[in-house]
This record gives sequence, C-alpha cells and structure tokens, in this order.
Amino acid sequence: MPALEVLVTDLAFGLLLGCVFAVIAHGLNLIWGVAKIVNVAHGVFIMLGAYGAYFLNLYLGINPLLSAPVDAAIGLAVGVGFYFGFLHRELRGKESIAQQSEMVTLVATFGLALFISNLALRLWTGNFVGIPWSPGSIFVGFLQLPLGALYVAIASVAIIALTHIFLSRTYLGNAIRAYSQDIPATQLMGINPTFVAAVGTALGFSVTMAGGALLSVWLPVGINPGMGALYAPISFVIVVLGGPGKMWGSLVGGISLAVIIDVGQAFVGTSLATAIAFLTLIPILLFRPEGILR
Amino acid sequence: MSRTLEASEIHKYFGGVKAVQGVSLTLETGRIMGLIGPNGSGKSTLLNVLAGIEKPTKGTVTVDGRRVDGWPAHRMVGLGVAKTHQIPKPFLAMTCRENVAVAMMYGSRREGEPASALEESLRILATVGLERRADAPASNLTVQERKRLEFARVLATGAGLVLLDEIFAGLSPDELRDTIALFARVQKEQGFGALVVEHVMRAVMTLSDHVVVIEEGRKIAEGSPKEVVENPAVIEAYLGSEATNVTP
Amino acid sequence: MKIPKLPAIGPTLWGIGVFLLVLGGLAPWIPRFTLTILVNLLIFAALAYSLNFITGLTGYVNFGHVVFMAVGAYTLGYTVGTIRLHPLGGVALGGLVALVLALGLGAVTLRFRGVYFAIASLVTPLAGLNIVLVLPALGGGQGIFLNIGFDPLSWFYTIWAIIAAEVGLTYWITHGRLGYGIRAIKSDEDAAKSLGVNAPRLKLFLFALSGLFAGATGGVYAWTTSGIIPEAAFDLTFSLRMLAMIVIGGMGTLLGPLIGAIAVYLPSRFFLTIFIGTESIIIGLVVILIALFVPGGIVGTLRKYVPELRRILE
Repeated sequence: MPALEVLVTDLAFGLLLGCVFAVIAHGLNLIWGVAKIVNVAHGVFIMLGAYGAYFLNLYLGINPLLSAPVDAAIGLAVGVGFYFGFLHRELRGKESIAQQSEMVTLVATFGLALFISNLALRLWTGNFVGIPWSPGSIFVGFLQLPLGALYVAIASVAIIALTHIFLSRTYLGNAIRAYSQDIPATQLMGINPTFVAAVGTALGFSVTMAGGALLSVWLPVGINPGMGALYAPISFVIVVLGGPGKMWGSLVGGISLAVIIDVGQAFVGTSLATAIAFLTLIPILLFRPEGILR
Repeated sequence: MSRTLEASEIHKYFGGVKAVQGVSLTLETGRIMGLIGPNGSGKSTLLNVLAGIEKPTKGTVTVDGRRVDGWPAHRMVGLGVAKTHQIPKPFLAMTCRENVAVAMMYGSRREGEPASALEESLRILATVGLERRADAPASNLTVQERKRLEFARVLATGAGLVLLDEIFAGLSPDELRDTIALFARVQKEQGFGALVVEHVMRAVMTLSDHVVVIEEGRKIAEGSPKEVVENPAVIEAYLGSEATNVTP
Repeated sequence: MKIPKLPAIGPTLWGIGVFLLVLGGLAPWIPRFTLTILVNLLIFAALAYSLNFITGLTGYVNFGHVVFMAVGAYTLGYTVGTIRLHPLGGVALGGLVALVLALGLGAVTLRFRGVYFAIASLVTPLAGLNIVLVLPALGGGQGIFLNIGFDPLSWFYTIWAIIAAEVGLTYWITHGRLGYGIRAIKSDEDAAKSLGVNAPRLKLFLFALSGLFAGATGGVYAWTTSGIIPEAAFDLTFSLRMLAMIVIGGMGTLLGPLIGAIAVYLPSRFFLTIFIGTESIIIGLVVILIALFVPGGIVGTLRKYVPELRRILE
C-alpha cells in the first residue's frame, strides 16, 4: 500500500492532467455531438496542435500557453477544410448517418490518421521532442505542483467553459445545438445547416488543436508523430465515459481517466493501470452508454 | 400452424414514462384483433413487447402455454410470431425476391437453401401483387409497394400470428379498398391470426373479429367492432373525430 | 447439425483454386528468397481474408484486428519457446487461443452499435499491449526470441492451407443461406432480427472465424520472424494494412482480399528501399480516396461498370 503522500500527489497530478485530457477530448465531443461523426483521426490533430506549439516555441519563442490561441485559429481553418473535405458529402441534407456512411467515414478517417501521421513522420522525423518551458512550481502543503501543469489545467477548464457559454448563450451556438438534435427543424427556422455544421466542426477542431498545445506541457520529451495513436483512444474513452454530446462530460471523463491511471499506477504499475483505464470503456458501453453523468 | 398468444398484465415503463399499464389480451390463429387508441396510447409499444423487441417491465407473455416474455425478436419469429414495421424497413440493396427469401430462410419455416427460397418467394410476392417487381431492388419501390413487401416478408416467415403496425396508413380511398380486400383474402387463404394496430377505422372495423381500445397504456374497452364504436368511453377518448368516420 | 450441400463452384473460386494449386505445385522449385517474399504476401492475404469475415461481410469495422494476430504470434512464441512444441502446433494453438479470445470479446462488444464497436476495437490493442508488457512469461517488453531456423517451404504450405480454408469458407458462407442473413444484417440489423435472423449468433460466428484465422496467421508470422516483440505484435499499422487491403480489393468479396493484398504488398516492397513511412502515407491516401469515392473497391467497381464480368467476378 503506497504512502498517503504518494497517493495524494498522484491524485493531484491526476486532477491536473485530467483537465488537459478533458480539453483534448472535448473537441471530439463537439464534433461527435454536432456532426455525429466519429473522427478516428482525432489523435493526429492533437499531435498537430502539439507540434504547432513546439514550432512556435522553437522559432518564435512563444510558450505553449500562448500558442494555444494560435493553434485554435489554425484549428478553425482545419476544421472547415475537414468539413468540406469529408463530411459535407455525407451530411448534405440528411437527417442522420446511414450505417454504410458510418463505415465509410470510420475507414476514411482512419486512412486520414495514418496519412497525416506518416507524413509528419517524414517531415519531422520520429525523434521525440519537447518544449523547454518550466515556470517553476508552487507548494501546497507537502504537494509540489508544477506551475505549467496548473496553468494549462486552468486554461483547459476555461476553454471548456467558453465553449459551453458559446453554445448556450449565443445565437450561433444555439443553432449548432439545434442542428445536432434536429436537422430539418433547424432548416425550418431559416438556419443554413451547412454553415452551422461547418462552424460546429471548426469549433471542435479548434478546441482539439488548442488542447494539443496545452498537452505539450505534459510532454517535455514526448511529442512525436505517432502520439495520436495514444491520445485518440484516450479521447474516445473519455467521451464515452462522460457521455457523447454532454458538455461537462469531457471534464468528468477526462479527470476520471487520468485519476484512474495516475492513482492506479501506484498500485499496479503504469502499464496495467493504463490497460485497466482503457478497458473501463467496455463496462460503460454495456451498462451505461449515455455516460457517467446523468 | 395453430397458435395462441396470451399477454397478461403487461406493463412497460421507459424510465418515468408508463407506456403500457396492465394490458391483457389473447391472440389466436384464425382470428383478427384490432387494436385502436389515440396517438401515444401505447399501441406500438405493446406490439413491440409482443414481438420480442422490448421486454415487458412487468407481466407475462405466453405462446401455447410457454412463457416467452423477454425472448428476443428472432426467437419469437421462430415460434411463429412476426411483426411489420410502421415505417417499412426493406433491405434496400436486395431485390424484392431476396427480401422475401431472407424471411423464408430464417422464419419459422426455415425454408432451406437460397435457390428454393427464391423460387417460393415469387409465389408469395404474387399473393401481395408484387410479382412484377420481383427482381427490382427494394430501394426502387414506392412507399405503398414497400408496405406490401413488409407484409409479404412477414407472411414468408410462416407466422401463425402476425402483428401489423399501421399497415393501412397513408392510402388513398381506392388503395385502401384494394388493400383491405387483399388482406381479407390472404388471411382467409392462409388462416393466420393477426393483431392489427390502426388509426384507419374503416380497416379495423371491416376486418376485425374483436377490437381492443387502449388509452394512456390501459385498456378502456373491448368487444365486437360495433360494440366498441358505440362505447361512450371510446367516443370520449377519441373526441368523436375518428369514430364518426366509420362506415358500418 | 446437418451439413448443407456444397454450392456449385463458381468461376472466381475456380480461378483462385487453380492459382493456389499451381502455386502449391511449383513451390518446391521456387528459389528460397522469392519464396520468402511469396510467403509474406500470402500472410498479408490471409490477414485480409480474416478481416473480411467480420468487417467485409458485416460492415463492423474492427480496428483492433491486430490483437488476434498478436495473440497467435505470442502463443506460438510461448509454446515453441517453452515446451518445444513444433511450430505447426504453435500455429494451430495460436488460432485456437485467438478463437477463444474472439468469442469472449465478441460476446461483449458485438452488442454495441457499429460506431461503439469500432471505438472499442480501437482501444483493445492498446490495452492488450499494456497487459503483455507486464507479463514476464511473455517476455515483457523484450518479447520472445526463438531459434527455429529458416524453412520457407514449410511456412509456405502452412499459410497456403490457411488461405485455402479461408477462401473456401468465404465462398461457402456467401453463397449459402448464411450469405443472405449476413446481407440482411448489413443492410438493416433490426429488420433482419424481426424476420428471424439470429444476428448476435451470426455476428459472433463470423467474428470467431476472423479471430481463428488471424491467430493462426499470427502464428505463422512469428514462425517466419523467429520470435515476436510487443511493438510489432500490436502495431496498429497492421490493422491499417488489413483494412486497406479489403477496402482496396473490395469488402466482402471473394477475390477482393487477394487482390487487395497484392495491391498493398507489392508496392510496399518497392518503398522499403525508399522509406518505410512513405508506404503508409500512400496507403492512407488511397484508403481515403477509395473509401469516399470508390466504395466497392477494385472488385466492386469492375462488377459495376463491366457487366460481362458480373457473372464471373465476385
């Protein structure tokens, strides 16, 4: 039985990491909720966000926290591109995705994932890189918390909260929510479904890439082209845990997952804790597919 | 085949919504029972429970004395109980013949191999007047043709008890007359029993031996078509609008 | 259970059969190096056929198919390494263990809707990898190293037998009663169930088959590489390749996996000299284009646009 201090430290780190996990999953949650598309390539966009922060730091000296908005802007453009490249054909006027189209999208986005990640491998080599940014730590009791982790955790929650405000308080946001629930009704209200779906998707990608930038703070030597293969499944598990389409679900799912891994590894080691964390997906899908949140 | 299905005190709740609250009825081969009621009264849910698509929250369903509540749909079909869909669900990529062949091979008769099933399918399609569309892909069919295909498929399963979900909906007066006649003839020839859920009063009244009326998940009346139509509770439930459309 | 009579043999099956027989007959005279390449091609093809059983026929996308291959590879590695079992035994056992895993996994995950099944399948290789890493009996992070020698002819005939079985089974399934049930499920699972198709059992049957053959093939793979390491066993690139092969060849078809394997494998031999990552870039791109614009793959497209071929190509 590990010492109490160790457990509490793990818990604290789990909470901080969980917030970042939440924001990288949040983008997927948005796209899933709006376009009802499961983007298997989600991981590569996290990776691109991380690399974005890396290069911004390398060439312009910008720290990851400030890179996040830049990445977010890039993400918007990428999202629009993705929408018109992939989704527009499938979604045009249809009320929901037919099973055949679902399969097509899954396979196509899978292809996209490997296309982009291997392209990245070609361009940037497989070397693991990181961003040297250490604003120091603060002490809370016996806990030593890195400020970088704290800042990005706060930023992550802020991003999630902002999207929540946007979706519930603005006209466009509400249009997006309406679209995700009932496309014909949205049309009947004079809202252009294509525009709305594109914006929703763009928002999702924007959050994802910003999340990648924030995640990079936790990866001082971990940024590499293949990282999407790890963070895509993590994002999926988080969205399922929290409930697809539930805005705060990302936070709940993200923190739960990170805590399970961080606290779990004190008992059974990282590998097993990670395996267990992933496998929680299955009981959730079996018994509570709407997610943990009511 | 001769079958009796007894549903006893069926309750079905979806979370807080009590869709069906204590309905009992008995279906037998050879007899047609009409099930009517205002929108949202629980008719479709009840059908789904009987077909095995939903499990009853409470209550029992037996077929020839054997308890089958909770049995999945495909097992119910094996027993000879099959349901059509309110909005037809044909296998779009397959031809009409192939659609019916699936039902023949997997239904209660388990008609062997594809070759013989495809042959037999033509006969069944002819029964419902779709023989000219036998080799057309189901995606090319009109809505009315799709409804007939639904019916053909259910017949092909060899069901002794057929559950029909609003099969007469959306038809023009001429189409309605033809479809009612078709159904009556086929039923007489094949002898199956049926539970007909309907809003189209004319069909229900013409075809049913016995009618059950449901409102808000509960049975509020039952009897012969004539009795039911004159029942004040029934008239009140419908606010008189549809009941006055009945041609005696 | 009565055995249904075998359907008549169609032209495509003849073609593949003759191809395999000729290849099998010539094998002892093929130079060892070429034979090794051929064996690798056949391994790809066998994997494609195994994925075809589940993803090709039912449309349930299994991203994690590589897990079965890994299980087979590790079974061979363990049994040959520890109890000195003959590799053929390892292959058979590998298939069996993977079969059991498929039954267990499938009983749970096949209940999910297609999308959730795909997600669960995405997660399983990672979980599997992490579990294997902590098992010292399976070599932990190092993997298993065997010393069983270089025997391309045996490898060839083993994988040959696996493919023959797969092709035969694929034909039998698609042409008989099961073929209709499967098409019905793929088209509209609920409607199929409402007509008496026991969808859960059918899907599980196909999933189990896919696991069995992927496991056996994984065993052959470990045999050819004389061992197995975790990163190779659980490499998602395998899943990509398998998916690419059936997408490019034509999902659910008889010839598709073979054509797809050739289409994916031969170019990859080229690119090995250029750069490993390039292969995946191109495969990824091709998969995107085919999935979006040519969903029938090579076989599907040929059948669609060349009506004369429809009777003989499947």
